[in-house]
Amino acid sequence: MEIPLRLGPLKVEGYTIHRSGVRWLCEAGQMCRAHQAIAFFNLTLEPVGARQKGPSPFAEERELQVVCAPRVGGRVLYDSAAAPGGYLSVLGINLWEADTVLGHLEPDGSAAEPEGDPGQLRLLMLAGRRMTPLVDVHSGLLPGWNGRSRGWWCGPGETPVGETPVTLLSLGICDVTGVIMGEQCAFLEMFRAETAPTQFVFIPDHPIAPAAPVLLDQLERTDAQLRAITTDLQAGLARAGTPTANDWMFAGTMLATLEQCPIRDSYDLISPSGFTKSKPANAILLSLNSEPPTMLRHKTLGYHIHILRHHQNAAGPAIRNWLATAFESVPRTTADIKKDYESLIDAIAKSTGARVLVLNRMSTSGDENISTYAPFDSPLSATLANIASKELNLMLHDIAPGRNLAIIDIDAIAADIGGSEHLPDGMHQSREMQEILRAEILHFLNDLRLER
Amino acid sequence: MTEALIECLYAAPGSTLKTGDKLLDLSVDLSGNFAQDCPPISYFRIIIREAIVLRELRVARGESCPVGHLIALFGSTADGATDQPPQRGIRIATAGIIHHGGMWTGNDH
Repeated sequence: MEIPLRLGPLKVEGYTIHRSGVRWLCEAGQMCRAHQAIAFFNLTLEPVGARQKGPSPFAEERELQVVCAPRVGGRVLYDSAAAPGGYLSVLGINLWEADTVLGHLEPDGSAAEPEGDPGQLRLLMLAGRRMTPLVDVHSGLLPGWNGRSRGWWCGPGETPVGETPVTLLSLGICDVTGVIMGEQCAFLEMFRAETAPTQFVFIPDHPIAPAAPVLLDQLERTDAQLRAITTDLQAGLARAGTPTANDWMFAGTMLATLEQCPIRDSYDLISPSGFTKSKPANAILLSLNSEPPTMLRHKTLGYHIHILRHHQNAAGPAIRNWLATAFESVPRTTADIKKDYESLIDAIAKSTGARVLVLNRMSTSGDENISTYAPFDSPLSATLANIASKELNLMLHDIAPGRNLAIIDIDAIAADIGGSEHLPDGMHQSREMQEILRAEILHFLNDLRLER
Repeated sequence: MTEALIECLYAAPGSTLKTGDKLLDLSVDLSGNFAQDCPPISYFRIIIREAIVLRELRVARGESCPVGHLIALFGSTADGATDQPPQRGIRIATAGIIHHGGMWTGNDH
Protein backbone atom coordinates (compact mmCIF):
# COMPACT_ATOMS: atom_id res chain seq x y z
CA MET A 1 0.00 0.00 0.00
CA GLU A 2 1.26 3.46 -0.87
CA ILE A 3 0.07 6.58 0.90
CA PRO A 4 0.35 9.89 -0.99
CA LEU A 5 2.16 12.44 1.18
CA ARG A 6 0.33 15.77 0.95
CA LEU A 7 1.54 19.18 2.08
CA GLY A 8 -1.70 20.33 3.68
CA PRO A 9 -3.00 23.87 4.04
CA LEU A 10 -1.07 26.94 5.12
CA LYS A 11 -2.51 30.43 5.00
CA VAL A 12 -1.51 34.05 5.54
CA GLU A 13 -4.34 36.49 4.90
CA GLY A 14 -3.50 39.02 2.19
CA TYR A 15 -0.58 36.97 0.90
CA THR A 16 0.07 33.95 -1.21
CA ILE A 17 2.63 31.50 0.02
CA HIS A 18 5.22 30.40 -2.50
CA ARG A 19 7.57 27.48 -2.11
CA SER A 20 10.68 26.18 -3.73
CA GLY A 21 10.96 22.72 -5.23
CA VAL A 22 11.32 20.02 -2.62
CA ARG A 23 14.72 19.48 -1.03
CA TRP A 24 14.92 15.95 0.29
CA LEU A 25 16.44 15.11 3.64
CA CYS A 26 16.35 11.36 2.99
CA GLU A 27 17.32 9.09 0.14
CA ALA A 28 14.74 7.72 -2.29
CA GLY A 29 13.47 4.42 -0.92
CA GLN A 30 14.84 5.10 2.56
CA MET A 31 13.01 3.70 5.57
CA CYS A 32 11.97 6.60 7.80
CA ARG A 33 10.43 6.71 11.23
CA ALA A 34 7.23 8.53 12.06
CA HIS A 35 7.90 12.24 12.66
CA GLN A 36 11.32 12.07 11.00
CA ALA A 37 12.06 15.07 8.78
CA ILE A 38 12.19 13.88 5.17
CA ALA A 39 12.10 17.08 3.12
CA PHE A 40 11.96 20.85 3.27
CA PHE A 41 11.09 23.89 1.17
CA ASN A 42 12.07 27.54 1.17
CA LEU A 43 9.05 29.83 1.48
CA THR A 44 8.28 33.38 0.45
CA LEU A 45 5.16 35.50 0.94
CA GLU A 46 3.78 37.56 -1.92
CA PRO A 47 1.16 40.24 -1.25
CA VAL A 48 -2.17 39.81 -2.98
CA GLY A 49 -3.20 42.93 -4.84
CA ALA A 50 -2.07 46.24 -3.34
CA ARG A 51 0.89 46.07 -0.98
CA GLN A 52 -0.21 46.00 2.65
CA LYS A 53 0.37 48.95 4.98
CA GLY A 54 3.04 48.46 7.60
CA PRO A 55 5.64 45.74 7.73
CA SER A 56 4.72 42.46 6.13
CA PRO A 57 4.63 39.29 8.22
CA PHE A 58 8.09 37.90 8.87
CA ALA A 59 9.63 41.17 7.68
CA GLU A 60 12.59 40.59 10.01
CA GLU A 61 13.01 36.95 9.09
CA ARG A 62 14.48 36.45 5.66
CA GLU A 63 14.93 32.73 6.19
CA LEU A 64 11.57 31.00 6.04
CA GLN A 65 11.37 27.26 5.49
CA VAL A 66 9.00 24.42 6.15
CA VAL A 67 10.11 20.89 7.01
CA CYS A 68 7.88 17.87 6.36
CA ALA A 69 7.63 14.61 8.29
CA PRO A 70 5.32 11.63 7.82
CA ARG A 71 2.98 10.68 10.65
CA VAL A 72 3.76 7.00 10.22
CA GLY A 73 7.00 5.18 9.55
CA GLY A 74 7.80 3.50 6.27
CA ARG A 75 9.65 3.63 2.96
CA VAL A 76 9.67 7.05 1.31
CA LEU A 77 9.22 7.15 -2.46
CA TYR A 78 10.04 10.38 -4.31
CA ASP A 79 7.81 12.15 -6.76
CA SER A 80 10.55 13.19 -9.18
CA ALA A 81 8.53 16.15 -10.47
CA ALA A 82 8.57 17.71 -7.00
CA ALA A 83 12.31 18.31 -7.03
CA PRO A 84 13.37 20.21 -10.15
CA GLY A 85 16.77 20.96 -8.58
CA GLY A 86 19.07 23.93 -9.13
CA TYR A 87 17.66 27.32 -8.29
CA LEU A 88 14.15 25.96 -8.76
CA SER A 89 14.67 24.09 -5.49
CA VAL A 90 15.87 27.28 -3.81
CA LEU A 91 13.56 30.04 -5.01
CA GLY A 92 9.87 30.27 -4.16
CA ILE A 93 8.47 29.71 -7.64
CA ASN A 94 5.56 27.38 -6.86
CA LEU A 95 2.34 28.29 -5.14
CA TRP A 96 1.83 26.44 -1.85
CA GLU A 97 -1.16 24.19 -2.47
CA ALA A 98 -2.61 21.91 0.17
CA ASP A 99 -3.11 18.98 -2.19
CA THR A 100 0.42 18.93 -3.60
CA VAL A 101 1.77 15.39 -3.36
CA LEU A 102 5.40 15.33 -2.34
CA GLY A 103 5.89 11.62 -2.76
CA HIS A 104 4.51 8.38 -1.40
CA LEU A 105 5.06 6.26 1.67
CA GLU A 106 4.89 2.51 2.04
CA PRO A 107 3.95 2.16 5.74
CA ASP A 108 6.01 -0.33 7.69
CA GLY A 109 3.05 -1.11 9.94
CA SER A 110 5.23 -0.72 13.00
CA ALA A 111 2.82 1.57 14.80
CA ALA A 112 -0.86 2.26 14.99
CA GLU A 113 -2.01 4.65 12.33
CA PRO A 114 -2.60 8.18 13.59
CA GLU A 115 -6.05 9.66 13.82
CA GLY A 116 -7.16 11.35 10.61
CA ASP A 117 -5.31 11.28 7.32
CA PRO A 118 -2.04 9.31 7.57
CA GLY A 119 -0.83 10.94 4.36
CA GLN A 120 -1.11 14.42 5.83
CA LEU A 121 2.47 15.50 6.52
CA ARG A 122 3.47 17.07 9.80
CA LEU A 123 4.95 20.52 9.19
CA LEU A 124 7.73 22.26 11.09
CA MET A 125 8.08 25.94 10.19
CA LEU A 126 11.54 27.46 10.50
CA ALA A 127 12.25 31.18 10.60
CA GLY A 128 15.67 32.81 10.85
CA ARG A 129 16.47 36.45 11.60
CA ARG A 130 19.78 37.02 9.89
CA MET A 131 22.59 38.65 11.85
CA THR A 132 22.92 40.81 8.74
CA PRO A 133 20.80 40.76 5.58
CA LEU A 134 24.06 40.19 3.70
CA VAL A 135 24.12 36.58 4.85
CA ASP A 136 22.33 35.27 1.79
CA VAL A 137 23.14 31.57 1.94
CA HIS A 138 21.14 28.87 0.22
CA SER A 139 22.51 25.77 1.85
CA GLY A 140 20.40 23.50 3.99
CA LEU A 141 18.16 24.18 6.94
CA LEU A 142 18.22 27.61 8.60
CA PRO A 143 21.28 28.50 6.55
CA GLY A 144 23.75 31.30 7.16
CA TRP A 145 24.23 33.23 10.36
CA ASN A 146 21.02 33.88 12.23
CA GLY A 147 20.77 36.11 15.27
CA ARG A 148 17.52 34.36 16.10
CA SER A 149 16.26 30.99 14.88
CA ARG A 150 12.90 29.48 15.66
CA GLY A 151 10.77 26.54 14.78
CA TRP A 152 7.12 25.68 15.47
CA TRP A 153 4.77 22.94 14.47
CA CYS A 154 2.33 24.32 11.91
CA GLY A 155 0.67 21.34 10.24
CA PRO A 156 -3.10 20.79 10.22
CA GLY A 157 -4.36 19.97 13.68
CA GLU A 158 -1.01 20.63 15.35
CA THR A 159 -2.15 23.85 16.97
CA PRO A 160 -5.89 24.20 17.61
CA VAL A 161 -7.51 27.20 15.93
CA GLY A 162 -7.30 30.25 18.15
CA GLU A 163 -4.42 28.91 20.20
CA THR A 164 -0.72 29.65 20.01
CA PRO A 165 1.99 27.13 20.78
CA VAL A 166 3.87 27.07 24.05
CA THR A 167 7.11 28.90 23.34
CA LEU A 168 10.51 28.20 24.88
CA LEU A 169 13.23 30.81 24.38
CA SER A 170 16.74 29.40 24.64
CA LEU A 171 19.31 31.86 26.01
CA GLY A 172 22.29 29.73 26.85
CA ILE A 173 25.68 28.79 25.49
CA CYS A 174 26.80 25.57 23.86
CA ASP A 175 25.43 23.31 26.58
CA VAL A 176 21.91 24.23 25.41
CA THR A 177 22.61 24.68 21.70
CA GLY A 178 22.68 21.01 20.75
CA VAL A 179 19.84 20.15 23.09
CA ILE A 180 17.49 22.71 21.58
CA MET A 181 18.70 22.95 17.99
CA GLY A 182 19.63 19.32 17.44
CA GLU A 183 22.32 17.89 15.22
CA GLN A 184 21.18 19.69 12.05
CA CYS A 185 20.56 22.93 13.95
CA ALA A 186 16.90 23.00 12.93
CA PHE A 187 14.92 21.70 15.95
CA LEU A 188 14.36 18.36 14.19
CA GLU A 189 14.83 16.23 17.31
CA MET A 190 12.40 18.34 19.34
CA PHE A 191 9.91 18.14 16.46
CA ARG A 192 10.21 14.35 16.37
CA ALA A 193 9.89 14.03 20.13
CA GLU A 194 6.86 16.30 20.69
CA THR A 195 3.56 16.62 18.87
CA ALA A 196 1.83 19.06 21.23
CA PRO A 197 1.81 22.68 19.94
CA THR A 198 5.27 24.01 20.62
CA GLN A 199 7.66 26.69 19.43
CA PHE A 200 11.39 26.83 20.15
CA VAL A 201 13.38 30.03 19.79
CA PHE A 202 17.16 29.98 19.85
CA ILE A 203 19.51 32.92 20.37
CA PRO A 204 23.20 32.18 19.72
CA ASP A 205 25.95 33.12 22.17
CA HIS A 206 27.90 35.27 19.73
CA PRO A 207 29.18 37.85 19.82
CA ILE A 208 27.79 38.47 23.33
CA ALA A 209 26.99 35.53 25.56
CA PRO A 210 23.68 35.69 27.48
CA ALA A 211 24.92 36.08 31.05
CA ALA A 212 22.27 37.33 33.48
CA PRO A 213 23.58 40.96 33.67
CA VAL A 214 23.60 41.15 29.86
CA LEU A 215 19.98 39.99 29.69
CA LEU A 216 18.97 42.34 32.48
CA ASP A 217 20.62 45.26 30.66
CA GLN A 218 18.73 44.31 27.48
CA LEU A 219 15.43 44.32 29.37
CA GLU A 220 16.06 47.74 30.91
CA ARG A 221 17.96 49.54 28.12
CA THR A 222 16.40 52.72 26.77
CA ASP A 223 16.78 54.13 23.27
CA ALA A 224 18.92 56.95 24.69
CA GLN A 225 21.23 54.41 26.32
CA LEU A 226 21.53 52.49 23.08
CA ARG A 227 22.45 55.71 21.25
CA ALA A 228 25.10 56.42 23.90
CA ILE A 229 26.53 52.91 23.45
CA THR A 230 26.66 53.39 19.67
CA THR A 231 28.34 56.78 19.97
CA ASP A 232 30.89 55.47 22.44
CA LEU A 233 31.70 52.48 20.25
CA GLN A 234 32.17 54.70 17.20
CA ALA A 235 34.48 56.98 19.21
CA GLY A 236 36.40 53.99 20.53
CA LEU A 237 37.01 52.70 17.02
CA ALA A 238 38.06 56.17 15.82
CA ARG A 239 40.57 56.50 18.67
CA ALA A 240 42.14 53.17 17.73
CA GLY A 241 43.26 54.40 14.31
CA THR A 242 42.15 52.46 11.26
CA PRO A 243 39.75 49.69 12.18
CA THR A 244 40.00 46.50 10.17
CA ALA A 245 37.16 44.64 8.48
CA ASN A 246 37.04 42.33 11.50
CA ASP A 247 36.59 45.37 13.77
CA TRP A 248 33.67 46.70 11.75
CA MET A 249 31.98 43.32 11.52
CA PHE A 250 32.43 42.67 15.22
CA ALA A 251 31.13 46.14 16.06
CA GLY A 252 28.10 45.74 13.81
CA THR A 253 27.08 42.38 15.17
CA MET A 254 27.70 43.54 18.72
CA LEU A 255 25.39 46.53 18.24
CA ALA A 256 22.82 44.30 16.53
CA THR A 257 22.84 42.10 19.63
CA LEU A 258 22.73 44.95 22.13
CA GLU A 259 19.73 46.57 20.47
CA GLN A 260 17.67 43.37 20.70
CA CYS A 261 15.72 42.12 23.69
CA PRO A 262 14.77 38.52 22.87
CA ILE A 263 12.84 38.12 26.13
CA ARG A 264 10.29 40.70 24.94
CA ASP A 265 10.12 39.48 21.33
CA SER A 266 6.72 38.44 19.99
CA TYR A 267 6.48 36.05 17.06
CA ASP A 268 4.79 35.87 13.67
CA LEU A 269 3.22 32.46 13.07
CA ILE A 270 1.88 30.73 9.97
CA SER A 271 -0.75 28.07 10.46
CA PRO A 272 -3.38 26.24 8.39
CA SER A 273 -6.00 28.69 9.66
CA GLY A 274 -4.02 31.85 8.96
CA PHE A 275 -1.47 34.26 10.31
CA THR A 276 -1.24 34.88 14.04
CA LYS A 277 1.14 36.69 16.32
CA SER A 278 2.13 35.08 19.57
CA LYS A 279 3.11 36.82 22.76
CA PRO A 280 6.64 36.67 24.19
CA ALA A 281 7.99 33.29 25.22
CA ASN A 282 6.22 31.37 27.99
CA ALA A 283 9.47 29.89 29.23
CA ILE A 284 13.10 30.94 29.11
CA LEU A 285 15.95 28.45 29.25
CA LEU A 286 19.19 29.69 30.77
CA SER A 287 22.53 28.01 31.22
CA LEU A 288 24.45 28.35 34.47
CA ASN A 289 27.59 27.88 32.41
CA SER A 290 26.86 31.30 30.87
CA GLU A 291 27.74 32.99 34.14
CA PRO A 292 31.45 33.83 34.22
CA PRO A 293 33.46 34.56 37.38
CA THR A 294 34.40 37.95 35.90
CA MET A 295 32.52 40.19 33.49
CA LEU A 296 33.29 43.31 31.53
CA ARG A 297 31.43 46.44 32.63
CA HIS A 298 31.63 49.69 30.70
CA LYS A 299 33.46 52.24 32.81
CA THR A 300 31.13 55.15 32.13
CA LEU A 301 27.94 53.71 30.63
CA GLY A 302 27.71 50.85 33.12
CA TYR A 303 26.42 48.12 30.81
CA HIS A 304 27.82 44.59 30.85
CA ILE A 305 29.14 42.33 28.16
CA HIS A 306 30.47 38.79 28.21
CA ILE A 307 32.36 37.58 25.15
CA LEU A 308 33.43 33.96 25.22
CA ARG A 309 37.18 33.64 24.75
CA HIS A 310 36.93 31.76 21.47
CA HIS A 311 34.75 34.55 20.09
CA GLN A 312 37.15 37.29 21.17
CA ASN A 313 39.46 36.04 18.41
CA ALA A 314 36.98 37.42 15.86
CA ALA A 315 37.58 41.01 16.98
CA GLY A 316 40.16 43.18 15.23
CA PRO A 317 42.76 45.28 17.04
CA ALA A 318 40.54 48.36 17.38
CA ILE A 319 37.76 46.45 19.13
CA ARG A 320 40.27 44.74 21.38
CA ASN A 321 41.74 48.11 22.30
CA TRP A 322 38.26 49.51 22.99
CA LEU A 323 37.39 46.53 25.16
CA ALA A 324 40.65 46.91 27.08
CA THR A 325 40.30 50.64 27.69
CA ALA A 326 36.56 51.35 27.90
CA PHE A 327 35.63 48.38 30.11
CA GLU A 328 36.68 47.16 33.52
CA SER A 329 36.79 43.57 34.62
CA VAL A 330 34.36 42.97 37.48
CA PRO A 331 34.74 39.82 39.61
CA ARG A 332 31.56 37.97 40.53
CA THR A 333 31.12 35.83 43.61
CA THR A 334 28.46 33.17 43.89
CA ALA A 335 26.44 35.72 45.91
CA ASP A 336 26.74 38.23 43.05
CA ILE A 337 25.54 35.67 40.52
CA LYS A 338 22.64 34.77 42.81
CA LYS A 339 21.66 38.42 43.03
CA ASP A 340 21.90 38.79 39.24
CA TYR A 341 19.70 35.72 38.73
CA GLU A 342 17.11 36.98 41.20
CA SER A 343 17.04 40.41 39.56
CA LEU A 344 16.70 38.85 36.11
CA ILE A 345 13.93 36.43 37.12
CA ASP A 346 12.03 39.27 38.81
CA ALA A 347 12.45 41.52 35.77
CA ILE A 348 11.24 38.74 33.44
CA ALA A 349 8.24 38.10 35.70
CA LYS A 350 7.36 41.79 35.59
CA SER A 351 7.97 42.17 31.85
CA THR A 352 6.43 39.04 30.32
CA GLY A 353 5.60 36.61 33.11
CA ALA A 354 7.73 33.87 31.56
CA ARG A 355 8.87 30.94 33.69
CA VAL A 356 12.61 30.42 33.90
CA LEU A 357 14.37 27.08 33.80
CA VAL A 358 18.09 26.64 34.00
CA LEU A 359 20.61 23.96 33.16
CA ASN A 360 22.95 23.56 36.10
CA ARG A 361 26.61 22.54 35.90
CA MET A 362 28.49 19.27 36.02
CA SER A 363 30.37 19.34 39.32
CA THR A 364 32.51 16.22 39.26
CA SER A 365 35.27 15.02 37.01
CA GLY A 366 36.92 11.66 36.64
CA ASP A 367 40.10 13.50 35.68
CA GLU A 368 40.51 14.83 39.23
CA ASN A 369 42.22 13.04 42.09
CA ILE A 370 42.36 15.59 44.89
CA SER A 371 43.26 13.89 48.17
CA THR A 372 43.34 17.05 50.27
CA TYR A 373 42.10 20.58 49.78
CA ALA A 374 44.85 22.00 51.99
CA PRO A 375 46.95 23.24 49.04
CA PHE A 376 44.17 25.47 47.78
CA ASP A 377 43.50 28.95 49.07
CA SER A 378 40.12 29.93 50.37
CA PRO A 379 37.60 30.33 48.90
CA LEU A 380 38.06 27.05 47.05
CA SER A 381 35.46 28.06 44.51
CA ALA A 382 37.75 30.82 43.27
CA THR A 383 40.20 28.21 41.98
CA LEU A 384 38.59 24.81 41.75
CA ALA A 385 36.12 24.51 38.91
CA ASN A 386 34.09 21.69 40.43
CA ILE A 387 33.78 23.39 43.81
CA ALA A 388 32.59 26.51 42.01
CA SER A 389 30.06 24.38 40.14
CA LYS A 390 28.79 22.78 43.35
CA GLU A 391 28.33 26.18 45.00
CA LEU A 392 26.56 27.58 41.95
CA ASN A 393 24.29 24.54 41.73
CA LEU A 394 23.38 24.98 45.40
CA MET A 395 22.77 28.66 44.76
CA LEU A 396 20.09 27.71 42.21
CA HIS A 397 18.33 25.66 44.88
CA ASP A 398 18.38 28.69 47.18
CA ILE A 399 16.62 30.71 44.49
CA ALA A 400 14.20 28.06 43.24
CA PRO A 401 11.49 27.94 45.94
CA GLY A 402 10.89 31.68 46.15
CA ARG A 403 10.92 32.40 42.45
CA ASN A 404 9.49 29.24 40.89
CA LEU A 405 12.77 28.55 39.13
CA ALA A 406 12.97 25.14 37.47
CA ILE A 407 16.32 23.35 37.39
CA ILE A 408 17.42 20.76 34.90
CA ASP A 409 19.97 18.71 36.77
CA ILE A 410 22.83 18.17 34.33
CA ASP A 411 24.99 17.24 37.31
CA ALA A 412 22.81 14.32 38.34
CA ILE A 413 22.04 13.16 34.80
CA ALA A 414 25.71 13.08 33.80
CA ALA A 415 26.67 11.30 37.00
CA ASP A 416 23.91 8.79 36.38
CA ILE A 417 24.80 7.87 32.79
CA GLY A 418 28.55 8.47 33.02
CA GLY A 419 30.17 11.89 32.81
CA SER A 420 33.36 10.67 31.19
CA GLU A 421 31.48 9.11 28.30
CA HIS A 422 28.61 11.55 27.92
CA LEU A 423 29.98 14.89 29.14
CA PRO A 424 33.75 14.57 28.77
CA ASP A 425 34.62 18.23 29.23
CA GLY A 426 31.71 19.04 31.54
CA MET A 427 30.00 21.11 28.84
CA HIS A 428 29.37 19.31 25.56
CA GLN A 429 26.98 16.36 25.82
CA SER A 430 26.65 13.14 23.87
CA ARG A 431 23.57 12.45 21.74
CA GLU A 432 22.18 10.16 24.46
CA MET A 433 22.54 12.84 27.09
CA GLN A 434 20.99 15.47 24.83
CA GLU A 435 17.98 13.20 24.35
CA ILE A 436 17.56 12.92 28.12
CA LEU A 437 17.79 16.70 28.48
CA ARG A 438 15.24 17.20 25.71
CA ALA A 439 12.85 14.90 27.53
CA GLU A 440 13.33 16.94 30.71
CA ILE A 441 12.62 20.19 28.86
CA LEU A 442 9.56 18.76 27.14
CA HIS A 443 8.30 17.48 30.48
CA PHE A 444 8.64 21.00 31.88
CA LEU A 445 6.79 22.46 28.89
CA ASN A 446 3.96 19.95 29.23
CA ASP A 447 3.55 20.99 32.87
CA LEU A 448 3.52 24.60 31.72
CA ARG A 449 0.91 23.75 29.08
CA LEU A 450 -1.36 22.40 31.79
CA GLU A 451 -0.89 25.57 33.86
CA ARG A 452 -1.95 27.82 30.94
CA MET B 1 43.04 14.48 23.33
CA THR B 2 46.61 14.21 22.08
CA GLU B 3 48.40 17.04 23.85
CA ALA B 4 48.25 19.58 26.66
CA LEU B 5 49.21 23.25 26.70
CA ILE B 6 51.42 24.38 29.58
CA GLU B 7 49.57 27.40 30.95
CA CYS B 8 51.64 28.26 34.08
CA LEU B 9 54.81 27.01 35.74
CA TYR B 10 55.02 27.55 39.48
CA ALA B 11 58.39 25.96 40.31
CA ALA B 12 61.90 26.50 39.00
CA PRO B 13 64.65 23.90 38.70
CA GLY B 14 66.41 23.46 42.02
CA SER B 15 63.27 24.17 44.03
CA THR B 16 62.49 21.98 46.99
CA LEU B 17 58.83 21.11 46.83
CA LYS B 18 56.57 19.76 49.52
CA THR B 19 53.15 18.17 49.57
CA GLY B 20 50.58 20.68 48.40
CA ASP B 21 52.92 22.82 46.31
CA LYS B 22 51.76 23.83 42.87
CA LEU B 23 53.81 22.52 39.97
CA LEU B 24 51.99 23.76 36.89
CA ASP B 25 48.63 24.52 35.25
CA LEU B 26 47.76 23.00 31.91
CA SER B 27 44.86 22.92 29.52
CA VAL B 28 43.62 20.10 27.35
CA ASP B 29 41.43 20.45 24.30
CA LEU B 30 39.36 17.41 23.39
CA SER B 31 38.79 18.77 19.88
CA GLY B 32 41.01 19.92 17.07
CA ASN B 33 40.76 23.44 18.54
CA PHE B 34 39.19 25.35 15.70
CA ALA B 35 39.51 28.95 16.73
CA GLN B 36 35.94 30.01 16.03
CA ASP B 37 34.18 26.95 17.40
CA CYS B 38 33.44 26.36 21.01
CA PRO B 39 36.40 24.24 21.99
CA PRO B 40 36.00 21.63 24.73
CA ILE B 41 38.93 22.92 26.76
CA SER B 42 39.50 21.98 30.41
CA TYR B 43 42.07 23.44 32.78
CA PHE B 44 43.96 21.46 35.39
CA ARG B 45 46.48 22.14 38.15
CA ILE B 46 49.15 19.61 39.03
CA ILE B 47 49.89 19.54 42.77
CA ILE B 48 52.90 17.82 44.35
CA ARG B 49 52.07 15.11 46.91
CA GLU B 50 55.51 14.31 48.29
CA ALA B 51 58.64 16.11 49.40
CA ILE B 52 60.90 16.27 46.38
CA VAL B 53 63.36 18.46 44.49
CA LEU B 54 62.74 19.67 40.96
CA ARG B 55 65.93 19.00 39.03
CA GLU B 56 64.94 19.87 35.49
CA LEU B 57 61.94 21.25 33.62
CA ARG B 58 61.59 20.06 30.05
CA VAL B 59 58.67 22.28 29.11
CA ALA B 60 58.11 26.01 28.87
CA ARG B 61 55.04 28.13 29.47
CA GLY B 62 52.97 28.18 26.29
CA GLU B 63 54.42 24.91 25.02
CA SER B 64 52.23 22.07 23.79
CA CYS B 65 53.22 18.65 25.07
CA PRO B 66 52.10 15.38 23.52
CA VAL B 67 50.57 12.74 25.75
CA GLY B 68 53.33 10.78 27.47
CA HIS B 69 55.92 13.53 27.07
CA LEU B 70 58.38 13.79 29.99
CA ILE B 71 57.86 17.28 31.38
CA ALA B 72 60.13 17.37 34.47
CA LEU B 73 62.70 15.36 36.37
CA PHE B 74 62.77 15.19 40.15
CA GLY B 75 65.02 13.69 42.76
CA SER B 76 65.64 13.64 46.46
CA THR B 77 68.41 16.20 45.98
CA ALA B 78 68.99 19.01 43.53
CA ASP B 79 72.13 17.50 42.13
CA GLY B 80 72.12 14.21 40.36
CA ALA B 81 71.92 12.74 36.93
CA THR B 82 69.18 13.94 34.62
CA ASP B 83 70.22 11.83 31.70
CA GLN B 84 69.08 8.51 33.12
CA PRO B 85 65.60 7.02 32.57
CA PRO B 86 63.25 7.99 35.45
CA GLN B 87 62.77 5.31 38.07
CA ARG B 88 59.17 6.19 38.87
CA GLY B 89 56.54 8.84 38.48
CA ILE B 90 56.16 11.32 41.31
CA ARG B 91 53.02 11.46 43.40
CA ILE B 92 50.76 14.23 42.22
CA ALA B 93 47.17 15.35 42.50
CA THR B 94 45.22 16.71 39.54
CA ALA B 95 42.55 19.34 40.10
CA GLY B 96 40.17 20.91 37.60
CA ILE B 97 40.54 24.68 37.90
CA ILE B 98 38.94 27.84 36.62
CA HIS B 99 40.71 29.70 33.82
CA HIS B 100 42.61 32.70 35.20
CA GLY B 101 44.45 35.73 33.89
CA GLY B 102 47.89 34.37 34.76
CA MET B 103 47.60 31.59 32.23
CA TRP B 104 49.34 31.54 28.86
CA THR B 105 45.87 31.82 27.34
CA GLY B 106 44.94 34.47 29.89
CA ASN B 107 44.73 38.21 29.59
CA ASP B 108 48.25 38.77 28.36
CA HIS B 109 47.90 36.56 25.29
